[in-house]
Amino acid sequence: MSNLFAMARRIIRQILRDRRTLALLIMAPLLILTLVWFIFGAKTSEPNLAVINAQSSDFASAFPTSQYTRMSPLEAHQALADKKIDAYVDLSTPVNVHLEGSDPSRNGLAMNRIQKSMQKVQQINVTKMSNQLKSIIQTQQKAIQGQQQVMKKMMAALHLYAPGTLAQIQKQAPKQTRPAAMQTPEKVSLDLSYLHGNNSLNTFDAFGPAMVGIFVFLFIFMIGGVSFLRERTTGTLDRLMASPIKNYQIIWGYMIGFGLFVIVQSFILTCYLVYVLNIYNVGSLFDVLMIVFILSFSALSLSILLSTAAKNELQMFQFIPLVIVPQVFLSGLFPIDTLPKWVQVIGDLMPIHYSTEALRNIMIRGTGFAGWWLDGLVLVLFSVVFITINIIAIRRSRPLA
Amino acid sequence: MSHPIKGEHLYKKFKKQVVLDDVSLTLNEGEIYGLIGPSGAGKTTLVRILLGLEKADSGDVELFEQRPTLDAFRSLGYMAQSDALYNELTAYQNLEFFASIQGLHGNRKRQRIMEVAESVGLEKEMKKGVAQFSGGMRRRLSLAAALIHEPRLYLLDEPTVGLDPLIRRDIWTLFRFLRSKGATMIVTTHVMDEVAKCDRVGLLSDGHLIAEGAPKELTERYGVATVEDVFLVKEGAAK
Repeated sequence: MSNLFAMARRIIRQILRDRRTLALLIMAPLLILTLVWFIFGAKTSEPNLAVINAQSSDFASAFPTSQYTRMSPLEAHQALADKKIDAYVDLSTPVNVHLEGSDPSRNGLAMNRIQKSMQKVQQINVTKMSNQLKSIIQTQQKAIQGQQQVMKKMMAALHLYAPGTLAQIQKQAPKQTRPAAMQTPEKVSLDLSYLHGNNSLNTFDAFGPAMVGIFVFLFIFMIGGVSFLRERTTGTLDRLMASPIKNYQIIWGYMIGFGLFVIVQSFILTCYLVYVLNIYNVGSLFDVLMIVFILSFSALSLSILLSTAAKNELQMFQFIPLVIVPQVFLSGLFPIDTLPKWVQVIGDLMPIHYSTEALRNIMIRGTGFAGWWLDGLVLVLFSVVFITINIIAIRRSRPLA
Repeated sequence: MSHPIKGEHLYKKFKKQVVLDDVSLTLNEGEIYGLIGPSGAGKTTLVRILLGLEKADSGDVELFEQRPTLDAFRSLGYMAQSDALYNELTAYQNLEFFASIQGLHGNRKRQRIMEVAESVGLEKEMKKGVAQFSGGMRRRLSLAAALIHEPRLYLLDEPTVGLDPLIRRDIWTLFRFLRSKGATMIVTTHVMDEVAKCDRVGLLSDGHLIAEGAPKELTERYGVATVEDVFLVKEGAAK
């Protein structure tokens, strides 16, 4: 036991005395998260749009001048080429949209706005049609009234000259029914309700949980891996191997020593996210910390394992594109449901994938322990497997005892 | 007389290169054994195999007359060719750590740290970070770390490399002091003037132990002035 704590104490001292590493461990994630917050949490920008041929069109009111600049066809063409506008709408019939097209996100923004305007165009069309119908009905009503006058006169004449025929006609005439009163259709509107989250949830709120996982994993991976690698390259591991310390004490000493920093790091990181950046969080802070803590254990144990395969720091960092970058993309930051099966299987083998799922359950869906225990368990399993392999691998450095 | 280290018919090769070819080596209790030979002769490999840090392809190793166990390491002080120190820590923290994993604690630990620091002449530098140490200071601190738990057996790989002559003399005085307290020591070196200070030397060349014995006895046996010349005689004979 005392060996274990001696290991842990040494690692804590090493990190504490290395101010730069300490700063990297704690400040760098905050810095990057703030940056990401600005990028994804910012309001979406407005598309720049224009209309041409607006004067002669009935739909001009659907394209208010506050959103659509009025331009001549030539101006619009030029502005589009100069990227001053994202799209312009040609209001001659049929209505045409010309997009700049080089940036999908701007295309989307423009099309969104234009589609809203097109809905108004539809409304204008509908009112126009109903107005036309009304005037048709009115003229027909007038015609009917005229005929009724004639009929009355004819009836008077019949009454005078052939009362028998009139009585017969009245008997045979179908009973008059009053036409049902026209009902105006109910106005249709959309009511939104959210099972989780609310309408102010932005991209950063959805990214946040994944980001926490990625940063904790990345920094613990780098520092833990290099730290254990140095143990090999400087020969201190040999010295440990020539001492009575047990293999598991070395590995667990690392886990405990780094674990303490992970607690501090994840606490600061989570508090910063929740209280300073105001990320959407309905779950408890404790649950979040638990997941981050478990995740970092798998990061540390994996980095120690991979450091065995590295000869120097450079080779250690070569694992980052191999181990970290795929995790970023398959972590759940982007939807992976539509990817080929084998890619999804790879995603299932990545620790950050589980932390993202768990953190989303906690922070956005607010499902509590029931929502994260399974993901947490998978992460613990990852760590247990890595730690066991580590202990076996380190045995190779001490083949005799 | 007991034999703290016994290695028999050790054979080791890395890839295709044979590093040790049937080397047998036995240390008597309370002697300083010098393992000498040119660099690349296999000295470090031999020491690592005796320690159990590497496995011989064939042959047996006994520590304290039994198969090596973790417990045997408690009585063993190892100093590698590299300094094997934690650069981020102070000298004191380094020694404190190595003392702890050797099972020392409390007052006894503090006392031992000061003792070994004094014996290598670093008692005034204990609060300094190791990163600021000179090469010689690091070497001495590394030696101190190997002494901290008062082992009965020392395996020291080039303990005096990079040290100036005065300090080197002090270190050898320290070795003789440790021997006087019953310690056994195997020291590798390729500095020939240290050879005369050993009780017994083994000459390692190309993975073969070509000669073994007290320095004086060797020079007389081969009729040469220095132990160094034994290499020349032996290698001349081989050719």
